[in-house]
Amino acid sequence: MKVSRRGFFQVLGLGAAGAVASPDRSDASSPSASLGEGMGMLVDTTECIGCRKCEYACDHAHELTGQPPSAFEDLSILDTPRRMDEDSFTVVNRYPNPDNPEKPISVKIQCMHCLRPACTSACLVGALQVAENGAVVYEAWKCLGCRYCMVACPFGVPTYEYHEPFTPQVRKCTFCHERVTHEGKIPACAEMCPPMALTFGQRSELLELAHKKIADNPERYINHVYGEHEVGGTSWLYLAPREFEELGFLKLGPGALPSLTEPIQHAIFKFGIPPLTLYGLLGAMMWAYRNGDDPPVSHDMEGETNDA
Amino acid sequence: MPCLPKILISGLIAGFPCLSPLAACAFEGAADLRNRPCVDCHACNAPTREAPCLRGCPRPHEVAPTPIPATATADIPDFFVLDQLSDLYGPVFFPHKLHADMEGMAQGCAVCHHHNPPGKILGCKECHGGPSNPEHLGQPGLKGAYHRQCLSCHREWSHETDCAVCHQPRENGHIIPVTPEATDIMGRLHPNVKPPGKWVYKTPDMPEGGVVTFHHGEHIQLFGLACVECHRKENCSRCHGGTAPNHRVRTDPHEDCSACHDVSDNCTRCHAQSETAGFEHGRRTGFSLKPYHSERDCAACHVGGKVFGGLSPDCRSCHAPDWMPEAFDHKLTGLELDELHQEASCADCHVAGLGKPVGCAGCHEDGKQYPETLPGKRVGDATAPGK
Amino acid sequence: MTHSTVRAEPARHEFWTPGVYFLIAFTLIAVGIAIYRFLFGLAATTNLDQEHPWGIWIALDVATGVALAAGGFTTAAALTHIFHRHRYEVLVRPALLTAMLGYTFVALGLTVDLGRYYNMHHPLLPSMWQGNSVLFEVGMCVVVYLNVLYIEFLPVVCERFIGAVNLPGFLAALNRPVDRLLRFLDRTLSKVMFLFIIAGVVLSCMHQSSLGGLLLIAPYKVHPLWYTPVLPFLFLLSAIAVGYPMVIFESLLASKSFGRKPEMSVLTPLSRLVVLTLGIYLIAKAADLLIRDAYVHVLEGSLESWMFLVEICLGGLLPMGMLLSERVRHSPNLLLAASTLVVVGVAINRINVFLVAYQPPFAQKAYFPSLMEIFFTVGMVAALMLVYRAAVTIFPILPRERAVRAGRA
Repeated sequence: MKVSRRGFFQVLGLGAAGAVASPDRSDASSPSASLGEGMGMLVDTTECIGCRKCEYACDHAHELTGQPPSAFEDLSILDTPRRMDEDSFTVVNRYPNPDNPEKPISVKIQCMHCLRPACTSACLVGALQVAENGAVVYEAWKCLGCRYCMVACPFGVPTYEYHEPFTPQVRKCTFCHERVTHEGKIPACAEMCPPMALTFGQRSELLELAHKKIADNPERYINHVYGEHEVGGTSWLYLAPREFEELGFLKLGPGALPSLTEPIQHAIFKFGIPPLTLYGLLGAMMWAYRNGDDPPVSHDMEGETNDA
Repeated sequence: MPCLPKILISGLIAGFPCLSPLAACAFEGAADLRNRPCVDCHACNAPTREAPCLRGCPRPHEVAPTPIPATATADIPDFFVLDQLSDLYGPVFFPHKLHADMEGMAQGCAVCHHHNPPGKILGCKECHGGPSNPEHLGQPGLKGAYHRQCLSCHREWSHETDCAVCHQPRENGHIIPVTPEATDIMGRLHPNVKPPGKWVYKTPDMPEGGVVTFHHGEHIQLFGLACVECHRKENCSRCHGGTAPNHRVRTDPHEDCSACHDVSDNCTRCHAQSETAGFEHGRRTGFSLKPYHSERDCAACHVGGKVFGGLSPDCRSCHAPDWMPEAFDHKLTGLELDELHQEASCADCHVAGLGKPVGCAGCHEDGKQYPETLPGKRVGDATAPGK
Repeated sequence: MTHSTVRAEPARHEFWTPGVYFLIAFTLIAVGIAIYRFLFGLAATTNLDQEHPWGIWIALDVATGVALAAGGFTTAAALTHIFHRHRYEVLVRPALLTAMLGYTFVALGLTVDLGRYYNMHHPLLPSMWQGNSVLFEVGMCVVVYLNVLYIEFLPVVCERFIGAVNLPGFLAALNRPVDRLLRFLDRTLSKVMFLFIIAGVVLSCMHQSSLGGLLLIAPYKVHPLWYTPVLPFLFLLSAIAVGYPMVIFESLLASKSFGRKPEMSVLTPLSRLVVLTLGIYLIAKAADLLIRDAYVHVLEGSLESWMFLVEICLGGLLPMGMLLSERVRHSPNLLLAASTLVVVGVAINRINVFLVAYQPPFAQKAYFPSLMEIFFTVGMVAALMLVYRAAVTIFPILPRERAVRAGRA
C-alpha cells in the first residue's frame, strides 16, 4: 500500500523536497500578538505529529547550526530522550501511546518561560529578565557565566557553551522575543508547525482555550493543563492525552521557586535593618565587655583605642 | 465526472480550486430545518433570499454538526488542488474521492467535514481561511487544518511526516507545474472493503457453549447497520502497515453486541455448542415472511428504530380491517405501476410467485423484459430493495 | 587593637624545605591548568555538563573555602575583640592571614570557573544590582569582606615596615613618603579598626548563611537529606562550629611545620568552646531531620545516605565524642585529629550539599571531577600554603616563641 501511494504521488511529480523552502516568510503573522501582557504558547501534544519542523524553524531563526531542513528529518532519534543544548533551543521527544501504538505522543520541549522564573531570581546581575510580554530573555553582555541560572531552573532548561573559552553564553529558547516585538511575527516554531499544534496568544486566552478543549473532548485530554499552576505558572502550556509524568514532564508543585529565597533576601536587605541591628548589637557587646575579665597574657596594651 | 475539466482548468490555470462541486454535494439533510432557531444558521435578524446572511462556520456549541449520509459520496468531487498557500509551499493534489471512499470505516464525511450547517457541506477553507485568527485561537489556520486532517491518519499508518510525501517540489523558488493525468486519479479508488459473511468465535471457557456465531453480513444486509455503527474507532493502521496486532483489543468482548442486544442474562442466545444458522424470521418468531413480506425492509413493519418485536401475527394488527390483496398499493415496493398494469392481477406478472423472477411474456409478445422495460416508474423510496 | 599584638614577629625558619618545592610543583600545575582553561574553555578542562553546571571548583574552592577561611578568623576575632578574651589574641593574626589568603584564593578559583570572568565587576555596578539573587548577596559580601580583611591586615604591614621601608634602586627616593603614609595609616586605622572588626563579623554571618541559601531555589534537585528551608541557618552554624577547630588545626599544623611548641594554653580552653558550637550545630541538624521526617532517608542505603552518614559520624559525632574527653583536649595530637575531623566534616558537608545532594532530574550521567579539576583544586591549596608560609616569614604573624613560653608558664 505504501509503495503504491508513493508511486501515485511520484507519477504526479510530487515526490521531492523543498516544500518548506521559505521558513522566513510568515504565513501566520498575527499583529495583535506582537506586544502586550503575558503572551503564551499552548502546545497540544495530541496534534503534534513529531515532524521536528519546529526544531528546524528554531535552528534557522536563531542561526544555531545552520543545517538544512533535511538534517531534521531523521525521526528515529525521537525514541531516545534528548535534551536541549547550546545549539538546540527546542527538541521533540516521542513517548509510547498505549491507547494507539501507531500514534506515539510527541512532546516538544523548550524554555517554559515561567511567570516567576527561578533563573531571573537567581541571576545576580539581571542578565536574565522577564520581558514585558512574558518572555524570559538573556543579555549576554551582563552575564558572568556563573551558571547559577542552570542550578536554579526546575526544568533544566538553560544550557551553556562550555566549549567556548572566551565568550560563552547561557543558551535557551528566547520565545523569539526579537521576532515578536520588533518584526511583528509569531515565534518561529509556531509559525512553521504544520498541524499548528502550537498556538501563540495571550496566556489568559490560551488557558481559557485549553480548558474549553478539555471540556469539549474529555476523552482526548486528561484534565490538566501543564504550566497553568506548575512553579507559579509558565507561559508555555501543554495539553496531553496521558499523565504528564509519562511524557517526560516533572511533577512540580504550584509554588513559585523565588518565593523560597526572595523573602529571605528581602528580609536581609530591607533597609539594611537586620545587618545594622547585628552590627549595633556586636558594637554594644564590644563596649560592654571592654574591661574583659580575661586580660591579655604578657601584654602591655589593652582596649581598642590603644595605639603604638 | 463532468466536473473534472472544470477542476483542472480552475485548479491549475486560475490557481484556485473548484468550489462548485461542493454545491453538487448538497444533500437532502435539511428536513429538520423547521425545528431549528433561525439564528442557528442566519447571522442577521431578517434574512432574505437575496441576503441570507448565512453563518459560514457554525461552532459546535452553535450548531450540532449535521450528519452527512453515506449516499452523498456518489456525487462527491474527485480531487482538489490545495494551493491556497502555494506562495509558501508547493501545492498538494488531494484525491478527494479516494478519501471519501474510506469513510465507511470511520465516522463518515464528518471526520473531515465537521461543523456542518444544515443542508450544506463546507470545505476546509471556508472556516479555516488563511492564517490563524487571533480572535479564534481554537480555530487553526488553513495550514493547520489541512495538516491535522491529513497527518492524523497518514502518520498513523505510514509513519511519514516528510513534506515531500504530499507537497509538489520547488526548483529555484518556482513550483514545477504539474499536469495530473485524469486517469491516474480516476483509476485509484480505495477498494471497497468486502464485509465478511460470518465470524465464528471460540469461547471454550463457557459451559453453556463454546461457539459464538456472528453473522456479520446479516447485520449489514438484513438489519441495515452501517459499518460505523459498530466500527466506531477504527484506524487506518489496522489494515495498512503498522505494527499493531490486526485485531481490536476489547476490554469487554460483549461491548460490540451489547449496544443492541441484551447480553446480561441469556448466555445461550449467542453461546451455542456448535455454529448456529442465521436469522430467519419464521423460525425465530413463528411468523413466516413468505411470501408477501419477504421483500420488505425490517423497519417498514418494525417502526421505531432498533426495537424489534412486539408485532402480532394477526394481519389486521398492521393492515386495515378491510384490507384485501386487491387493494395492495404496488407503489410501496418502489415501483409505481402505470395504469395498464394496475389492471393486471398479481399473478399476471409474478408468474413464479412473489419474490421470484417476473415474467412478461404472458402478455408481451414483443420480447419486453423486466427490468429493462418497467411497467411503470420507480419512486423515491429505495428502502425496499427491488431484487 | 590588632596592632597591639606586639608579641608577633616574622618566623625565623628556613623557608626552602623539600615540602616547599612540593608545594611549588603543585602550584605550577594549577597555574598550567588555569592557563589551559583560559585558552580552551571549561569543556576541555572540566567534567561539567548541561545538567551539572557546578563542580568541585564551586563546591570546594568556593563553598568550602569560604566556610573554612572565614570561620576561623570570624570566631577568633569575635572572641578576642568583641568579647575581649585577649588571651586568645595569639591566634588572631594567623587566622586573619588564613582568611585573607583563603578569600583571595576563593576569588582566584572563581575567576577560573566563571565563564565571563572579565565581567566579574558587574555585580558592583548599581545598574546591574539584582537584590533578589542570593548569589548577589554572597558576591557582594565576599567582595566587601575581602576588602575588610585587607584593611584589617594593613596594621600588620605597617608594623613590619614602619621605619624599615627600603625600596630598591631609584625608588629609594620614595622611602620617606611611603614611611609617612604607613605611619598615617597606622594612626588612623587604629582609631577606626573596631568598625571593620564588627563589619567583618556581620558580613561573615550574612554570606556564610547565604551560601546555604543558594540551593534553596532548587527544591526539586536537592536530596531531602540536605534540602531544608533552614539550610542557610545550618550553614551559618556549621561555619561557626568549624571556626575554632580550624584555628586549632592551623595553629597545631604551623607548630608542627615550624617546629614550635603547640600553644596548648589557649588551644585547650578553645577546644572546650568547640563542644558548644559543634554541639549546637549537631542538635540543630538532628532537629531539622526529625521535624522534616527526612531521617527516613538516612538508612536507605543509597550513595546519598552513605555520604550523609560519613559527614555526620566522621565529621560530627566522632570529633564531638573526642572533644568531650579531657585527655583529647590536652593532647596536641588528639586535638589535631579531632579538629581535622571537624574541618573535614564541614568540607564533606559542602561537597554533599553542592554535589552529592544535587540531583538534576534529566541527568544522563553522574558528575565526577576530571583530573584537571582535582589537580587545580589541590594546586590552589598548595599555593595557599605556599603564600601562607611566605607571609609568616615576611610579616609578624606568628607569636614570638618567648611569648608562647610565657603564655605556657
